[in-house]
Amino acid sequence: MTLTLRIVLIVASVLVVLYTIRKIRKSQLNIDDSVFWIGFSLMLLIMSIFPQIVEFFTRLLGIASPVNFVFLFVIFLILIKLFKLAIDLSITKHRLNHLIQRIAILNHDVDENTMNRLNELNDKVKK
Amino acid sequence: MKRVLIIIPAYNEEESIERVVDDLIENYPQYDYLVINDGSKDKTLEICRKKGYNHLNMPINVGLADGVQAGLMYAYENKYDYAIQFDGDGQHDPSYIETMVDAMDECDICIGSRFVDKKKPFTSRMLGSNLIQLALLLTVHKRVKDPTSGMRMFSRPVIKAMAGTSDYGPEPDTLAHLIRSGARVKEVQVEMRDRTAGQSYLNLGRSIKYMFHMFFSILFVQWFRKKAKIRREEQK
Repeated sequence: MTLTLRIVLIVASVLVVLYTIRKIRKSQLNIDDSVFWIGFSLMLLIMSIFPQIVEFFTRLLGIASPVNFVFLFVIFLILIKLFKLAIDLSITKHRLNHLIQRIAILNHDVDENTMNRLNELNDKVKK
Repeated sequence: MKRVLIIIPAYNEEESIERVVDDLIENYPQYDYLVINDGSKDKTLEICRKKGYNHLNMPINVGLADGVQAGLMYAYENKYDYAIQFDGDGQHDPSYIETMVDAMDECDICIGSRFVDKKKPFTSRMLGSNLIQLALLLTVHKRVKDPTSGMRMFSRPVIKAMAGTSDYGPEPDTLAHLIRSGARVKEVQVEMRDRTAGQSYLNLGRSIKYMFHMFFSILFVQWFRKKAKIRREEQK
């Protein structure tokens, strides 16, 4: 890995950590969800400080250039994150629809009860 | 006497809903009905309130599948024996409900089918129907002649399964899943009228997407689903 790439990686990962911490302080990101991003940037940081790790895996996997391993690694992590997001979105959609269905049924019950009460009161008044 | 709930999903059906529901109230008082107003932007809700129809009002548009599911939840909680999905645009003829109720003695899902005795016309839409039929035949070994019919009746065990969890849209892939879970399906010949008002939800692009989606879902995705528990009451 060239020195320039290492510097860029270090700066980028430090910025990601700072940005994530800022979002946590503003309570815009759950602590649970932030673990991934902190971990992600820490890994980038380690890879740029100790390029031997990257070179070891590059040789192990028979990849031509170390930077390609960095790409592969990052794309892999992003794919996993994307899939987890798709799962979260599915769950959220399902929960939202379930809530809407419940609200509709509850409203129906409330309307029915109110009507029954009104009819009872009317009967009493007539008597 | 079995208790039957007619679930009428309605999205922007102000032109036809009154005729459909009034017909049911007047001529078929033996069945209960429930209009599902799925966040309509027109006067569907106003009409339901003004006429005092039994209705559920979805505060946000959730789509046909989840609208019908809300109706099934209502049917399950109010102890109905059968629930039938019935179009709000006047395409379905309520006089066939009786035949379908009779057929329910021998099955869990009864489909109001256009093609039991009659041949399928050769149109582009029916090509999609044939594809889905083929997919069902290949995967669950069951010949369903009109898998895309929107007129379907469900027994209580199936209502329970469909009301409980997500991904039970009233579509052919759910049919495949339920058949694999042990539900018995029967088709009953019905006539369907052409729609009198409003627009079909499916235009050509959507139809193709829908068919493709269903075909894939039945052939590949449904294998991985956990089977639903459909226990029949006689077996207890």
